[in-house]
Amino acid sequence: MTFQELILALERFWAERGCLIVQPYNSEVGAGTFNPHTFLRAIGPEPWNVAYVEPSRRPTDGRYGENPNRLQQFHQYQVILKPSPLDIQDLYLESLRALGTDPSRHDIRFIEDDWESPTLGAWGLGWQVWLDGLEISQFTYFQQCGGIDCKPVSGELTYGLERIAMYLQDVDDVYELQWAPGIRYGDLYKRAEWEWSTYNFEQADVDLQKNLFEEYEKQVAILLGLSDKKGKGGALQFDREPLERLALPAYDAVIKCSHYFNVLDARGAISVTERQRYIGRVRLIARAVAESWYAQREALGFPLLDTAAAAQ
Amino acid sequence: MSSEFLLEIGTEELPASFVTHALRSMKASAVELVGQARLGTDSLEVHAMGTPRRLALRVRGLAASQPDRDETVMGPPWSAAFDADGSPKKAASGFAKKHGVAVEELRKQSTDKGDYVSVQVHEAGKATAAVLAEILPQLCQRITFPKSMRWGPGEIAFGRPIHWVVSLLDSEVIGFEFAGVQAGRATRGHRFLAPESFDLDEARNYERALEQAHVIVDLERRKDRMMGGLLAAAKSLDGVLEPDAFLADECVSLVEEPFTVPGGFDESFLELPDRVVVSVMRDHQRYFAVRASEGGALLPSYLNVVNTAQDPETISKGNDRVLRARLADARFFVEEDRKAPLADRLQKLDSVVFQSKLGTMGAKVRRLQANARALAERSGADADACVEAARLCKADLETLIVFEFPELQGEMGRWYALREGTDSAIADAIRDHYRPQGADDVVPNQVVGAVVAVADRIDTLVGCFGIGLVPTGSADPFALRRAALGIIRIALEGPIDVDLRQLIDQACRAYAGDAELAPAEEVRASLDGFFRGRIRAMLKDAHGGDVVDACLGAWDGTSLRDLRSRIEAVAELGAAPEFEALAVAFKRAFNITKESARGTIDPALLEAGAETTLAERFVTVRDQIREATGERRYADALKLVAKELGTPIDRYFEEVFVMVDDPRVRENRLRLLGEIADTVNGIAHFHQLGTKLQRRDPSVSA
Repeated sequence: MTFQELILALERFWAERGCLIVQPYNSEVGAGTFNPHTFLRAIGPEPWNVAYVEPSRRPTDGRYGENPNRLQQFHQYQVILKPSPLDIQDLYLESLRALGTDPSRHDIRFIEDDWESPTLGAWGLGWQVWLDGLEISQFTYFQQCGGIDCKPVSGELTYGLERIAMYLQDVDDVYELQWAPGIRYGDLYKRAEWEWSTYNFEQADVDLQKNLFEEYEKQVAILLGLSDKKGKGGALQFDREPLERLALPAYDAVIKCSHYFNVLDARGAISVTERQRYIGRVRLIARAVAESWYAQREALGFPLLDTAAAAQ
Repeated sequence: MSSEFLLEIGTEELPASFVTHALRSMKASAVELVGQARLGTDSLEVHAMGTPRRLALRVRGLAASQPDRDETVMGPPWSAAFDADGSPKKAASGFAKKHGVAVEELRKQSTDKGDYVSVQVHEAGKATAAVLAEILPQLCQRITFPKSMRWGPGEIAFGRPIHWVVSLLDSEVIGFEFAGVQAGRATRGHRFLAPESFDLDEARNYERALEQAHVIVDLERRKDRMMGGLLAAAKSLDGVLEPDAFLADECVSLVEEPFTVPGGFDESFLELPDRVVVSVMRDHQRYFAVRASEGGALLPSYLNVVNTAQDPETISKGNDRVLRARLADARFFVEEDRKAPLADRLQKLDSVVFQSKLGTMGAKVRRLQANARALAERSGADADACVEAARLCKADLETLIVFEFPELQGEMGRWYALREGTDSAIADAIRDHYRPQGADDVVPNQVVGAVVAVADRIDTLVGCFGIGLVPTGSADPFALRRAALGIIRIALEGPIDVDLRQLIDQACRAYAGDAELAPAEEVRASLDGFFRGRIRAMLKDAHGGDVVDACLGAWDGTSLRDLRSRIEAVAELGAAPEFEALAVAFKRAFNITKESARGTIDPALLEAGAETTLAERFVTVRDQIREATGERRYADALKLVAKELGTPIDRYFEEVFVMVDDPRVRENRLRLLGEIADTVNGIAHFHQLGTKLQRRDPSVSA
């Protein structure tokens, strides 16, 4: 099964089970969770079932294309089922069958692995899924997103596509994967890994990244009308009514801040104490966006609740 | 045959720690609730069992039904319920009505607070099934987890989502609802080997039925099975299993039916240090290692505990591949690390924070060198070796392999150092300076390691105390208690003594220029108190708290071995028959003289007989006792005290009245007793001893 056939098989499988098939986000994200189809849609009472590929960037994981297992950009297949159905594990195991893997012939285990994104103010409980000792997926029940309790709870399935493809194609080097007949993964990404590793570790302009971080951070406050003052118990205050806030452009700015922070981190330009402060700053603006998004959906009467009711 | 009750809660995969935690709380709540509901009998037996996918409780010896209960219920004060002439008021009729009795049945009950109305209530016991149906929802709600989660609609919190509940009293379903699930008799077997739901006919058949469905519910039985499989598999590889209690607990909690699948790796990976290979297998993959013989060489094999083994070849092929990549990573790290000598990492330590107010690890390492030199010179150790070990001891923190496997700190530094040709005493010290890691760990057995270990710990203690980071209650983020205990144990069990006061002063001086600490006297005073507290906690069980206190009272806060000599001397004397009388006498001497002035004894004022005898004997041996004390021969000193002063002082207190009216005689007597008390107090504070020393069985270790 080629890399692209793997993607197609998952797209088909989850489409047949009622998921919207959407596209990767057009900004640098560290994981599929950052895509607004997950981060924002996990907030609030509206049901949501979606699946998509997400090219995910982890600047610190770059290895100049020399390590057969580590990449600064890899591909996740992300599935969100909200509310999480009781048969979510069975659905997941069926999806492995769709990839030609019979779970009863292998050793499949659900190993505790709680997930937390300090910058997104999000966390959940769940597992890593092991297939014959190989971690192939992350499985998370979202408990909080942007500091807001998730109710209903979203179930998030994240497939590590490179890992699974290496398993299916029986290769030890990610660059040897067949993306499509005649085209290897290395043909597409080996040079990219070297360039991005060199950029992230050596050449990224520190002052530029720091400035961009500051500027995008300011944009969030402007686009949401976020006040400097806090209310009782540290509650965020906004000078704009919910529907006057531009939550989506503001969220893009949050994603940018998170990305520049990651580049600065890889570049070794952030000290331990600064690190915590940067994370806290991103978390604050992520929370402001999450609260604004919720307030907007509420002002709109949570439209997808009606759609779901009508469908039933 | 008595009844048996079974509760099973089926869930998604619970983490290992969740299962043990939940089972403990389930069992405790069951015992409590059954007791409160009066369902217990003498043969009550509550057993909790679990796998990653189920929490189960088996209760045997339940009463067939709840016994009837007669109870006296107290009501309002008698005067509020009845007039003086005995006619009932409203309160009396209300109370009677509430309990369904006639007013005439109310009785007068006298209490400390006066007379009250009471009534005898008879409550008929209910059938066990009915009572269980009432208490089961509470039992389920009381199950606790280290962390709970919500799922689906998000209304309920539990360790993991709940899928089914079985509740059977013998063959009867005890119906109740929990977490939106109706309890019944349908359970499920192994997720992959027997996935279909099936009905249980009787509670007592539970374990057997599940075993047929590839689930061994009882954790201990499952572990026995797993260990049996591992040992046999190791044997068939012509090797022995590397024991690992933590891994065993972890693995048994990840499977419902344990199977062992062996696998292997290329022999060339065995060029890596054993600890690296074992850590890769254990931490990343949860594999057991296999050795050629006990403590012998590692074999290029591993044992993997799995949940299904329908196709062992496929499983081991997949696992081999994962392990190969992991080991290749580790080899890459070690090869990269070896491209530069260990000492090249020292510069990087200057950008690693030790503690934000105390500066970098680089600065710490420089202080360690100064501390190590001072300590080595006092201990007669090879100072240059100690300083070099101190310089290198943290360098491996900046190696790739320790970054990946933090638990290999020290071990890898030693390994790299040996391969660079570093002297083995120095290399060993790089590893040993982390010892003891805890109460079960050994202390460094060589001088260089001991010196660096003490130098490191005192630096952390002085730094943290110097900026007010003092442990409170259970909060001790820098493990300062453990650091202090480490120093005490190294001095008492290891190759060097430690002079605490000099050590603290040296460590304070070493901070000059690195950090702003509180004044040295303050740090010394608070650390002195902290160490005394640790010493007491560590030694009180072995020697008795009063003996430790008595010796701490006389101890000057310097040499730890000096303190030990005092404790041993007092303990030795404590075992002698004359000890008790002696202790009483010195306690008396101390108490009577603690307020009085000291001064020269005037022999002319001594009364012939007991007083003269005591005075003469004391003057004769006083210098000997003091000399022995000064030379820290406390056992000798105490033997002299007992031999020379024991009888005379007893007689003295029998025959002489100290507080006579004549002020000159009285003062002279107080001077004599005061000097005796001071002399003995130089060894240990006898007044802090209990009169009866607890005699300890020397065969029982502390």
